Amino acid sequence: MEKEHIGELEELILLLIVMLKEDAYGFAIRKALKEQANRTVTIGAVHGTVNRLEKKGFVESDMTGATEVRGGRRKRVFSVTASGKKALQRSRDIKVNLWMQIPEFAIK
Amino acid sequence: MKYQNRQTSRLSEKLLSLMCKSEYLEEILGDLAEYWDELSEKPKWKRSVFYWFHVFNFLQPWALKTFKISQKLNQYSMFKNTFKVAWRNAVRHGQFTLLNLLGLTVGIATCIIIGIYVHQETNFDNFHTKRNRIYRINQPDIWNDWTAIASSTGPNVATALKEDIPEFEEVTRLLSLGSQVINYQTAKGDQRPFREDGYMVVEENFFDIFSFQFLEGAPETALKDPMSMVVTKATAERYFGLEKALDQSLKVKDWDGNWKTFTIKGVVQDIPYNSHLQFNMLVSMNSYQEMLDRDGWKWIWTAFSTYGLVNEGVDINLLTQKIQAVPPKWAPPTTERIFNQTFDEFTAGNPWTLYLQPLEEIYMSEDPDIHRFGPTGDPQKVRIFTLVGVLILILSAINFMNLSTARSVNRAKEVGVRKVLGSARAGLIRQFIFESTLYVFASTLAALVLIVLSLKQFNQLAEIQLDLLPYLSQPGFLLVLGIFILALGFAAGSYPAFYLSAFRPIESLKGKLSSGMKGKGLRNSLVVLQFTLSIILITCAFFVQRQLRYLADADTGFQTDNILQIHNIDQFGFQTETLKNRLLANPAFEKIGKSFGVPPYVWSGDRYRAADGENEVVNLNNLRIDEDYLDVLALDFIAGRGFDTEKSTDKYHVILNEEAVKTLGWSLTSGLSDSPIGKKVAVASGTEDEFTVIGVVRNFNFNGIKERIEPLILIHDQNDKVWDYGAGLSFFSIRLNQNLVSSNEGFFRLTKEVQVVMDEIDPSVPFEFSLMDQGFEETLRTDRRLGRVLNVFTIIAIFIACLGLFGLAAFAMEQRTRELGIRKVLGAKISELLILFSSEFTKLIMLSIILASSISYFLIDDWLRDFASRTRIDWWVFVMIGLVVLLLAVITISSQSIKAALANPVKSLRNE
Repeated sequence: MEKEHIGELEELILLLIVMLKEDAYGFAIRKALKEQANRTVTIGAVHGTVNRLEKKGFVESDMTGATEVRGGRRKRVFSVTASGKKALQRSRDIKVNLWMQIPEFAIK
Repeated sequence: MKYQNRQTSRLSEKLLSLMCKSEYLEEILGDLAEYWDELSEKPKWKRSVFYWFHVFNFLQPWALKTFKISQKLNQYSMFKNTFKVAWRNAVRHGQFTLLNLLGLTVGIATCIIIGIYVHQETNFDNFHTKRNRIYRINQPDIWNDWTAIASSTGPNVATALKEDIPEFEEVTRLLSLGSQVINYQTAKGDQRPFREDGYMVVEENFFDIFSFQFLEGAPETALKDPMSMVVTKATAERYFGLEKALDQSLKVKDWDGNWKTFTIKGVVQDIPYNSHLQFNMLVSMNSYQEMLDRDGWKWIWTAFSTYGLVNEGVDINLLTQKIQAVPPKWAPPTTERIFNQTFDEFTAGNPWTLYLQPLEEIYMSEDPDIHRFGPTGDPQKVRIFTLVGVLILILSAINFMNLSTARSVNRAKEVGVRKVLGSARAGLIRQFIFESTLYVFASTLAALVLIVLSLKQFNQLAEIQLDLLPYLSQPGFLLVLGIFILALGFAAGSYPAFYLSAFRPIESLKGKLSSGMKGKGLRNSLVVLQFTLSIILITCAFFVQRQLRYLADADTGFQTDNILQIHNIDQFGFQTETLKNRLLANPAFEKIGKSFGVPPYVWSGDRYRAADGENEVVNLNNLRIDEDYLDVLALDFIAGRGFDTEKSTDKYHVILNEEAVKTLGWSLTSGLSDSPIGKKVAVASGTEDEFTVIGVVRNFNFNGIKERIEPLILIHDQNDKVWDYGAGLSFFSIRLNQNLVSSNEGFFRLTKEVQVVMDEIDPSVPFEFSLMDQGFEETLRTDRRLGRVLNVFTIIAIFIACLGLFGLAAFAMEQRTRELGIRKVLGAKISELLILFSSEFTKLIMLSIILASSISYFLIDDWLRDFASRTRIDWWVFVMIGLVVLLLAVITISSQSIKAALANPVKSLRNE
């Protein structure tokens, strides 16, 4: 599991799941993606990604909270696991590390 | 907001719950519902499009159900495995796969095209709703040969049947007047004549029997009144463009030069290709009442076609017996009045039989001998094509089997492993058959695509109208296709399936059977069969071409080139001479002659006999000509002379051809005492007028080169003692001065000049012309077409055969690489290796050549029997074709063997 890499969309979604907390389910993630990262993806793509993340063990899920607008259906709410957090940190560290080595390109 | 559009959501729910894994379903549907809600602001169509886009986006591998069946039976994963193995095999042996599919695709495409053609030809006239009850009434050819059957009767057969036989619901007759001159108003407002083909006079009840689709007007009343006309859509557009044709009028020139005005009372859809009744214009029969009444030839004017619609459930055999009473009852008044003969004298004891021919048999049947009109099918051609189609299919199927068998031996190891792992024999058989069915299926799909792409070109080449698309929606066709795929898949897969599945795993794993030499006998005999068939096709196609070329070059007995024929001269009446003199003023015209028919279309004939003593009555073709006509044709006289303008008595004289002299029972020996010159010929139908023979011309082909030269009597056009004096179509034939008309432009200019002259004399006569040599060319057209199509099929056949040989050679090469390597290491030369390798296949090809030559000799000999003059069947042709095929085969094989022979032996030997 340690060796699993995460893709760019996966990373974004992982971060959003952390951010959304109890509200981290497919449709909400898609909405957040649009608002926070200006990315429009299909609902199917979100589902596909979170399912992949779950298989890799970065997230776990629970079925909760039926609402009327969903026709009485429950949501699958995701939460990031420990290894998910570790993967996020590693990904951030790598990038920060890289940024540090290119001072001339530093953010002003 | 709740669901706005229950239908959209319900449908998508159904789809997704059908396709997606149940553990994901709830959240997917929930999210989609939210999304639908979010979209509520958008316009309705956008909402649906967006929504459905997302729905379909869920149909991804991770979300899709694995089929339930897989959980219950283990078949599904085995099935998947078979697919996978088939695919891997196909990819690994890419070259073989490609060859295999290519050959099969071409074969299947050819076969389907031929199948469609044969289906179309054998399903003529199937659009009439009452087709099962429609019969045409045929009778003996009462004018010549009573044993021959003609498809036409006198006009009163129909009226008598209507009167006497209640079993007929309707009886109708139609009279085809061929082409007529129509006068119409052009857009500019001036009147122009136009010659319209397909002009038929029909009775009021025509549409009660035949179902032609009406676009305008009512079928019940369209032909009720005199001077009513029904035209096809294309004809209506030709005269009136986009204007409504209904109730417009058209003028038709009558035989006496007057104009008849018809009103259009109906427009029908263009006549389908598969109709034996082809027409552009129908007019009501009562418009020609005076013509029907005039001569009272009620039973002997055999220009009418009679069709009857029988009541439901009538026994046709009984009905046929019953109608035989009709001619003896009704015909006698006619024979007595016209010929002064009793019925029995007229028939000379022959039965005047009336035959009932079912509508659906009319097109394809070889009967009757004499057809009045309409296209007729050629059963021989259909048989030839069926045979060719089946042959090509067999060729490609053999190919397919051959390559599959050859390749499958390589898979003995796979079979061994499968067996060790517990595979049952039935499973293995299923696997191989499934695989070959898969190949056939893929090829069939490719073949359909190929047909769609190439059908237009093929239609042009063969001058037919085939269309694949309507067939694709016919369940019958698809069923046949399905059965075909399964059958061929099974046949091709069965040998490897049953053979390989019988292996003992130990042996196959040890590699004892992987040498590929098993099944060689079968493969070799298939190669022989394949090449035999191809060579037969090549030889036949070659001789068809040769015979056609022979005919085209054959001596017609006179010069057919540079003769321009001007039609419709009969319509100039008394001004014919004026026209002739005006035309003769043109220096390009050397000579102008008039005739009442032009070779190769001389179809008139009558009964004659030699006037010296009691002689047998014989049939002679006759042609009425003026003094100059024979000069235009430049015919050779064997004896006597031609008609002379100076001698006024010549108009009652006649000229014979050699054949006619023989037929009349005279001899041609040049001894003066027995010369036919000066003898008399009597007309044997009615008048008994006698005409003196003044000349005999050398035989010439006046009815096309395919026909035997028949007896011909040439009668002076001023001879007013013959019954049809002054009637009929006449033509000017003009010998052109070759030096003045050498180019196409020159010829075109010349025709313009003729048209101007004709217009000045009588603008109501349409200008039409033809060239005599083109007419002769035309008589060979169907045979040429057959030749062309046969050529295409031959090329396909030899292509498939070579493809097969190439595949087999490549396979054998692969099998023997090591052997070749060792031979090379031990010092064999490349040339020796080539010979070693090619000789094996060469032997097979030689065998095929011998077999094919003898079979094709018989086939060609049989085909040539239909021709009056036939090309020789030379032995060198067989040798030549044999050598060419052999060369082709050797090239095919060597393309493989050279590669192997040149290869570095180290490579092939290192493999161990």
